[in-house]
Amino acid sequence: MRGSRRTRLTLVLLLLTAFTLTALDYNSAQSGPLASLRRGIDTVFGPVQRAVGSASSSVGSALGGLPRLGSYQSDNKKLKLENDTLKGQLAAQAGLQCRYDQAVALQNFTNFTNYPTVPAHVIGVGASADFEWTATVDVGSLDGVKPAMTVVTGYGLVGRTLTVNRNTTVVLLISDPNSTVGGWLVGPDLIGFAKGKGSAPLNLSFSGRDVVKKGTVVLTVGSTYDAGIPVGTVTSTTYDPNGTIRTAQVAPFVDVTHLGLVGVIVQPRRTTPRAPFLPVAPGASPTSTPCPAGVPNGPVPTSRPTVTPRASVTPSSSPSPTRTP
Amino acid sequence: MTPSRLLLGVIAVITALMLQLAAIGRLPLPGAAPDLLLVLVLAFALAEGPMSGAVTGFLAGLLADCFASHELGRLSLAYALAGYVAGNLHDDTDRSTLQPFGAVATGALVALGAFSFEGLLLGDHRITWHAVARVAVSSVPYDVVLTPFVVPLVAGLVRRLDVDPLRRL
Repeated sequence: MRGSRRTRLTLVLLLLTAFTLTALDYNSAQSGPLASLRRGIDTVFGPVQRAVGSASSSVGSALGGLPRLGSYQSDNKKLKLENDTLKGQLAAQAGLQCRYDQAVALQNFTNFTNYPTVPAHVIGVGASADFEWTATVDVGSLDGVKPAMTVVTGYGLVGRTLTVNRNTTVVLLISDPNSTVGGWLVGPDLIGFAKGKGSAPLNLSFSGRDVVKKGTVVLTVGSTYDAGIPVGTVTSTTYDPNGTIRTAQVAPFVDVTHLGLVGVIVQPRRTTPRAPFLPVAPGASPTSTPCPAGVPNGPVPTSRPTVTPRASVTPSSSPSPTRTP
Repeated sequence: MTPSRLLLGVIAVITALMLQLAAIGRLPLPGAAPDLLLVLVLAFALAEGPMSGAVTGFLAGLLADCFASHELGRLSLAYALAGYVAGNLHDDTDRSTLQPFGAVATGALVALGAFSFEGLLLGDHRITWHAVARVAVSSVPYDVVLTPFVVPLVAGLVRRLDVDPLRRL
């Protein structure tokens, strides 16, 4: 072929350039010229992406209504058309109702936890579908979002912010294999680390010999994430008779593949020191009752939360463990 | 390379990427989502040959990299390689209807292989056998399904713009 040598040379140059970019980007994670290139691209495409995202979601809700159209064959074309229009409107209303429910749940969550949240819509998902579990939301540094902030829905933990641009933010979902959540098993009062496993349930490893029952609720411990946010429930536990590390499968409360409205917790990290306990006069409180068996120390819900997602806000009805503004 | 051909490439790539991020990635399909941008790159490769496939793939991949959480240049490399391979598979003498399907399937597998291999080199532990297999059995067939919609469209647009069809590289 005539230009085959030239083509091969071009290919090699392109591959070398691509690999150089990868190597540069690998070494300078969040800063440097490549990060600013990314941010620049986002500033240009953010508004377009937002418009396409909202258009496609309304088309999707209209399409969702189509299979439910009646199967009767009406001769009257006008009636049929009218029927279609009404069904479409119904589907659109169902979509609105869904958004409304999500907003109410998020508001309830905010009221219970006292965490200020910025509502955000998911406008995109990770570019390479099965390897990266990320979502793009339509808030950014303009709205006070910073990297490593906790992202929730009204029902529980979604992930944390990764790359923050001016108008959009990339969220690392809890199911991403790179994500680790510090999880607190309510009841046995154990702390473990829940790693993302893609489409499979989270893998929570903890040490200890306690029996963890199915349905035990997992909350976040306050480290990478804000404290006391429902993560999920234990579905099964693996007991290795020789090891000291146990593994539990945790089904998240939030299905990260179907996200609509989410909230970014914009509470800044605590800067004022916590007040210490000071000694009081002796004999102040010898009559206090000890902790009842099975109920550990600490802010645990008074009744065991059920496994339904809606009940997951129960733990937050007690004051949040570390940060009450 | 005429300005109108350049414009066609730019508009097609941006449209495909926006559709991919906002709509296709969110389709409730079993397995992983189809990759419209990759199919577009392969369609350009089939219409114009390996040079166009490699260059379009590089630029489209670079843009897609900007929207992803992995290192820049990874999809770029994968798409450039896939475009080059698909462009070479194209054979003017063979006018079989099945040829574009085979080329898209091969290109998609090459892109998946290159992306995964780079992930292994960089120690990205999101690249597991399980995930690669899942994409290979879901996303690659979806890409083949997209072929009859994308490839003739791109071929038609390119033919309309190209004044001299013999000027293939």
